[in-house]
Amino acid sequence: MIKASLRGLLQRKLRLSLAVFAIVLSVAFLAGSLVLSDTLNARFTALFSTINQNVSVVVQAKDPQAVEPARLTDAQLRALSEVDGVRAVSPDVSAQGVIPFRATDGEPVSADAALGFGVDGNDDPLGLVELREGRWPTAEGEVAITAHTAELAKVKRGEQLKVYLPVLNEPRTFTVVGVAGYSGGRDSLAGEVVVMFQQSFAQQTFYGATGLYGGASFAAEEGVSDDALKQRIAAQLPDGFKALTGQESSEEQSAQVGVLFDVFKYILIGFAVVAGVVGIFLIFNTFNIIVAQRTRELALLRALGAGWGQVAGSVLLEALVVSLVGATVGLAAGIGVAAAGEAAITSEVALPSAGLVVAPLTVILAYLLGVVVTLVAAFVPAVRASSVPPVAAMRDVVRPDKSLTALSIVGAVFALPGVGLVLFGAFADLGGTAFLVLLGGAVLVFIGALLLSPLLARPIVRGLGALVGRGSAGNLGVRNAARNPRRTAVTAAAIIIGVTVIGMTATVVQSFKTSLTDIMGDNIGVEVMIQASVTAAPDGRQGFNPKALEQVRAIPGVKEAAAWHFDALGVSVAGQPQAFGIFATDVGQAARMFPIDATDGTIRTLAAQELVLDDNIAETLKLKAGDRTPVVIGGVTRDYTVVGVYRATPLIQGILVGEPAVADFPGPLAFQGFVSLNDGVDAAPVVTQIETIMKDYPGVQVGDRQSYVDQATASYDFLLIAVQILLLVALVIALLGILNTLVLSIVERTRELGLVRAVGLSRGGLVWMVTVESVLITVFGVFLGLALGVGLGAAFTKALMTLEFATVIAIPWLELAQYLLAAVVAGVLAAVIPARMAARLNVLDAISYE
Amino acid sequence: MTTAAPPLIRQRAETSAARASQVWKVYGTGEAQVVALRGVDVELERGRFTAIMGPSGSGKSTLMHCLAGLDSVSRGQVFVGDTEVTGLNDAGLTRLRREKIGFIFQQFNLLPTLTAQENILLPLAIAGRKPDQQWFQTVIDTVGLGDRLGHRPNQLSGGQQQRVACARALVSRPEVVFADEPTGNLDSRSGAEVLGFLRRSVTEYGQTIVMVTHDAVAASYADRVIFLADGQIVAELTGPTPERVLDTLKSLDRTAQPGTEL
Repeated sequence: MIKASLRGLLQRKLRLSLAVFAIVLSVAFLAGSLVLSDTLNARFTALFSTINQNVSVVVQAKDPQAVEPARLTDAQLRALSEVDGVRAVSPDVSAQGVIPFRATDGEPVSADAALGFGVDGNDDPLGLVELREGRWPTAEGEVAITAHTAELAKVKRGEQLKVYLPVLNEPRTFTVVGVAGYSGGRDSLAGEVVVMFQQSFAQQTFYGATGLYGGASFAAEEGVSDDALKQRIAAQLPDGFKALTGQESSEEQSAQVGVLFDVFKYILIGFAVVAGVVGIFLIFNTFNIIVAQRTRELALLRALGAGWGQVAGSVLLEALVVSLVGATVGLAAGIGVAAAGEAAITSEVALPSAGLVVAPLTVILAYLLGVVVTLVAAFVPAVRASSVPPVAAMRDVVRPDKSLTALSIVGAVFALPGVGLVLFGAFADLGGTAFLVLLGGAVLVFIGALLLSPLLARPIVRGLGALVGRGSAGNLGVRNAARNPRRTAVTAAAIIIGVTVIGMTATVVQSFKTSLTDIMGDNIGVEVMIQASVTAAPDGRQGFNPKALEQVRAIPGVKEAAAWHFDALGVSVAGQPQAFGIFATDVGQAARMFPIDATDGTIRTLAAQELVLDDNIAETLKLKAGDRTPVVIGGVTRDYTVVGVYRATPLIQGILVGEPAVADFPGPLAFQGFVSLNDGVDAAPVVTQIETIMKDYPGVQVGDRQSYVDQATASYDFLLIAVQILLLVALVIALLGILNTLVLSIVERTRELGLVRAVGLSRGGLVWMVTVESVLITVFGVFLGLALGVGLGAAFTKALMTLEFATVIAIPWLELAQYLLAAVVAGVLAAVIPARMAARLNVLDAISYE
Repeated sequence: MTTAAPPLIRQRAETSAARASQVWKVYGTGEAQVVALRGVDVELERGRFTAIMGPSGSGKSTLMHCLAGLDSVSRGQVFVGDTEVTGLNDAGLTRLRREKIGFIFQQFNLLPTLTAQENILLPLAIAGRKPDQQWFQTVIDTVGLGDRLGHRPNQLSGGQQQRVACARALVSRPEVVFADEPTGNLDSRSGAEVLGFLRRSVTEYGQTIVMVTHDAVAASYADRVIFLADGQIVAELTGPTPERVLDTLKSLDRTAQPGTEL
């Protein structure tokens, strides 16, 4: 029995190779994701192990992100360095966001991985950093830089270097007195930018006083283990500090950095899921076809005494072999994907090599995914195979197409409540829960639609066919596509899934963009926007100094310039944490620049301990004008008075406080700036002048109104692109599925093909007939997918409108047309091989084909 | 091609609907070589019903396939009307099938997705020609399918299906209709209906029909019967009756016994 099914496997290898490909794709994305993330982690571990190579124990603040992190004093540091077993100490005086400007063009060299250190004029006691030329800085106006930094900033020893200082929030100019490198002759460890200052200057600048340290690294004496030293140091630690061995510190740091690359991991896992789901349909179809073609063989086995379990088992065994082959190839391909991904990432960030890491878990998950997907897909075909009666060996047992009624009723049972939920979620004012309701409804509608798709296939294909199926060859293609609605629907399922997701995303994104553009265009008096780096920590520690706006106000033609501060860390109002943070600005000025309608109280410039908020939040927090409520900003709790409530718009929403509150913010920098101009003033030259002013603040962008819209929608565009790539993956698999189905159709209909050739259809006509069938299957999938996607997208947008995140439902016709076009191209491509097969048939052979 | 033909051939071509001249058909090479046709010369007159008979392996089907351009010949020439079939490429053969030839096969004549009427009109639709309504009506009346035109093949009996196939072959008024055992799968009553219909289309409308059969009764509907054995024409009858056909077949069997390769 096993031998028979394995032999059969080899004979069907072409068809099965399509199923294998679907598994390969899915497994490759999963394995690629896991290997890439493990490999990068290994690389980071190697990096931090290098940094900590001579370090036995690290002492650091428990909460380095705190507004006022703990600092070591001179006396505390001295006490720790006198702990028995300490051979050497390297105190840490450092800050992030110390960004040098290029000497040649004045542009900041890097917005991230830019560090500043304070050094005490002596060589690094732990031997990591080595002076290459010149000397260490010993005066306030001096710095030493690493060789990599010197190269990026295009500066040499003895030259001037402008450096942005994060706590001072402004740049200063220094003289480069030394160039350093790392042990082993490296210019940088991971492409980082490093500027070293005189220690007391760094302490004063970064920590606000001399004699303070952020932490320290300790080397143990010969014969003292890292753990032992950690115990001894921990016993003497001041409050707010923790001690880690060098090893522990490396692991903690690499885990923190590894999180940054998780987005790649999740995108690849998303691909794996889509490829897996779509692959199930392809594999399902493949095994159905195989079982149908093997009916006689299976019946013979049954006639010879095989039980139904053995027959079903033989199909499942075949599926198992297919899945193992697919998973093996997929694993290999995934390792390839990971290697490519690693190469791409490490070309941006220089990291020490650690080789590709293929963890046992990766291998297990890869095989598990392949096997589960395949067996799930092959289950129904296996059951079908087991129900072949032995008599089918003797003659053709006509197994009529099962009626679609039962399937359609089940579909309707899913779809109708789904539609109800979607409508309820979209139109009832449910607040945030609307999205849960919508999501549940969308899943039901989607499942229902897939089940109903065979019922819809015939009318839709015929309707579409009336447009393309001109001429008798085209007409025959249309009829063939409508002939077996189940097969057409299953074949199109991959496309339906992919296109629904993309249609939905595209509709929401388009609606959001159109809404924003409408609002920006109509109502606001703001022509120029200033925006901190999107990746900046939203707590006032990155951005621009509001004092710089005085220079902006001096530009001819500028009417007003407003600074907006933003804090999203640890803010709470009325005892409720505010994940969307709090804004501080001159609210009276904001009301002149933006449409802010009071629904309660007044909207005016706020004094200390006064706030206004939008109607949604007011309702949630049960606040009205005149109420007093506790507000926590930067760890400080104060009682605020609610001065007014305004109507939320997609542009302005949230809790606003006055400029005096900025004193409580973790940092004094503004997150956004808005500039209005006098009538008739051209924005472009003003943008250029403001850019010059903002050049001192790395990461700050200046743009006109449209660029602000573009920026606000950029993250949605990114989402859209990610989903489009997903669509591409789904389309590739769908293309294989269509190819599969068409080849089957051609084999099944060989005599028909011979017949139409005999009565005068040309080869070209035959090619056209097959192409029309293929294109109709794809277009049917796109049509249904777009209808579902746009419908669901519109429902989600409606819910967003209720929450004031959007004002209109906009349908992205251009994108939709592109997807349709892509489907037509895919359909034509899928038809190439089957059409050639059909055209090559010899007429006489085809007619006498059994 | 026709312009290059010598006057003699042209003149003869005008009197015959199809013609084979010294046609050889050889399958395979060396040891496995099988000669299906050995220099066959035959002319099928216009407006006549010709039956081709012979024992299994005599080459009768091969001869018809070669005449119809479904199979290539190894040597010799084949003409349909004044068109030389031998040497035509696929496009030429396609045009020939559209314009000059109608086919009736033993089974599987109809596309299951089309109705009877659509099947009948399929050759015209493929060729992009408008049906002649009067002729279409005549054909329909003759085959007696008036009330079945909207049915699909699986709703028709075997005899009805073959009558639809006949109607399809006739509706484009081809130079010649080739019928390959058209009654082979039918019971005798349905077979008689189909044969009667073919006979009438020859007698009443002057259609040329060439039919391969192994059934003496079917052959008796023809004007002329050609007998093949071992790839050669060995006998011929005009005005056949079933008895005369059977007698001829028997005499062929006797003469073919010794030394026959096939």
